[in-house]
Amino acid sequence: MGSWVRWIPAVAAPAIIAAGVLAGTIPARAGNPLPEKTPAEVLAAVQEHKAHTFSGTIEQSSDVGLPELPAGPSSGPASAGGAASMIELLTGERTARVYMDGKTKVRLQLVDRLAERDLVRRDRDVWFYSSKDNSTAHVTLPATPEDLPLPVHPDQPAPGTPPADRPEPGAAELPTPGDIAENLLAKVDPTTAVTVGEDVEVAGRTAYNLLLEPRTEATLVGQVAIAVDGETGMPLSVEVTPRGAAAPSYTAGFTSLSLDVPDDSLFTFVPPPGSTVKELQAADSPRWPLSFRAPGMIITPEQLTAIRTHPARPSVTGKGWEAVVEIPAAAAGGTLAESLMRDPLLAHAAVVVPGGRLLSTTLLNVLIADDGRIFAGMVPPDQLQAAASAAP
Amino acid sequence: MPSSIPAELSGAAVQQAGRAKESGFSLMLSELRVLFGRRRTWALLLALAAIPVLVAVAVRVSSTVPPGRGPAFLDRISQNGLFVAFTAMLVSVPLFLPLTVGVVAGDTIAGEASHGTLRYLLVAPAGRVRLLLVKYAGALVFCVVAPLTVGVAGAAIGAALFPVGPVTLLSGDVIQPAEAAVRILLIAAYLAVSLAGLSAVGLFLSTLTVVPVGAMAATVVASVVSQVLDQLPQLEWLHPWLFSHYWLGFGDMLRQPLLWDSFIDNALLQAGYIAVFGALAYGRFVTKDVLS
Repeated sequence: MGSWVRWIPAVAAPAIIAAGVLAGTIPARAGNPLPEKTPAEVLAAVQEHKAHTFSGTIEQSSDVGLPELPAGPSSGPASAGGAASMIELLTGERTARVYMDGKTKVRLQLVDRLAERDLVRRDRDVWFYSSKDNSTAHVTLPATPEDLPLPVHPDQPAPGTPPADRPEPGAAELPTPGDIAENLLAKVDPTTAVTVGEDVEVAGRTAYNLLLEPRTEATLVGQVAIAVDGETGMPLSVEVTPRGAAAPSYTAGFTSLSLDVPDDSLFTFVPPPGSTVKELQAADSPRWPLSFRAPGMIITPEQLTAIRTHPARPSVTGKGWEAVVEIPAAAAGGTLAESLMRDPLLAHAAVVVPGGRLLSTTLLNVLIADDGRIFAGMVPPDQLQAAASAAP
Repeated sequence: MPSSIPAELSGAAVQQAGRAKESGFSLMLSELRVLFGRRRTWALLLALAAIPVLVAVAVRVSSTVPPGRGPAFLDRISQNGLFVAFTAMLVSVPLFLPLTVGVVAGDTIAGEASHGTLRYLLVAPAGRVRLLLVKYAGALVFCVVAPLTVGVAGAAIGAALFPVGPVTLLSGDVIQPAEAAVRILLIAAYLAVSLAGLSAVGLFLSTLTVVPVGAMAATVVASVVSQVLDQLPQLEWLHPWLFSHYWLGFGDMLRQPLLWDSFIDNALLQAGYIAVFGALAYGRFVTKDVLS
């Protein structure tokens, strides 16, 4: 017997593994095809969806062409400083676990290597926790639903109003989700082609694939694909593909999803022993309390407030996909552009172009003009330069 | 000469087959007795146990560690001794655990060959496959014992030098010490699984040579190379295939609720390495001329 027979397993084992991996990468055909729907019907399903009780894992990955940092055991995202985290937001992969039981009980866990950042909300109490430095922050939300930092869906009845399913006078005039979807589609139609592609499978669920394609050539975005769960109408994933690229630059979506009610104890948070608790005022933080030790927060809340309140507010030129946002130098107090450039990694990634410095990614370009103005848009760099030279 | 051995035994083959299971078991027992009867094995385990002791003593004699500095959990030790176990396991993952596992796995076949005892172990018809399995199983037992040693020694020295209380998980939830002990065991299990692939690599390398030190060094080098490649962003496509890729993912055992994703991914990856390098070791070992 030839001794080569003995080597068969050594050849077969990698072959079987390779075959298994290849089989796994073939996109799973939806076993049970969903009924055909128009884009408007899919949008209406999103509007109507009431799946606010679930637990799932969300993965986000982006590869927008910025330099990446070597992620070592000690220099991983968790332990890196602010600058590294800023880049981290734009590159690489991140994982989060989300638990929701209705809209007022939320737990969000940002899973880092050997670290975690948590957001726990039960009714009006919101806790933030960062394991890296064992710090806690707490904020009590105002009672009015309009002030809630979480997006309030139009179908969410405000406290005190009758439930939506009870017919009210004038209810007939209220736009249905279907009408809203039709209106929205009509509005975006001149700039964007909206179609429903072939069913996709996301987190083991069959989903409609809503495709948005800009009708203009003057944008970096080639296609936006939104997977909408066929059963509940819940958006499951978003993929953004640059113009001319084969693979998406940015994807975010569920990798697992369960519609069961999460364990209620998940929404109870007690600051752990030894943790420093910072009480935040809801009034100080009209949106997310940005100052909360968010790693990578280069833009301080003060600067953000300055931008918001300054008379020279950010202005938008261009329409739809070609929009260019200009942040005037005065509004940023000259500090925003400076603090961006003080970040050594951003400074390294930016290239000098006529009129300023350019941060170029596959989906977004940012031009930091020599005079401190900042131009950003999902457009080719020359349009930013044109906008910079056009605006005095 | 090896060729004459099967001829002598052919008469006893029937009897041998009946006792195959039993003798496999006794072979395993004697392998473990040899492995853990060795002074070298105990020296390796002692060195591993010294890591948490060093960490704990260093924290005890020094001033307070500012949060966010040094390896994860280091700043928690002075408040809770159980964190010594977590820190020590974290510190030992990149080098010390692969080093000790490399020594044991690299020695499996080459060690017997260098002692001239290999051919005496191969006196049964199915001897080679069984010997390979027994040797690998012995290395796996060491993979279980090694991280456990670090964890248990860490918990013990931590309890001796610092107060022990409820443990804060990465998610901010607090668990009681008894549950923390379970988490330490879970991490030890995670690390044991993590080291299984490296053991298979060591077993294969060990069949290539009669110089055990060569196989040991090559195994340790393999673990270092794998970790270095895992750091290079240019090789991102390769990362999920490196056996060291999930080694530091054991932090997922410290979340609430437990996150099993990396444990499962890691187990699948290590199973792949065991299959590939086990098959390579089989191919090499059964075709090898055993002369010593």
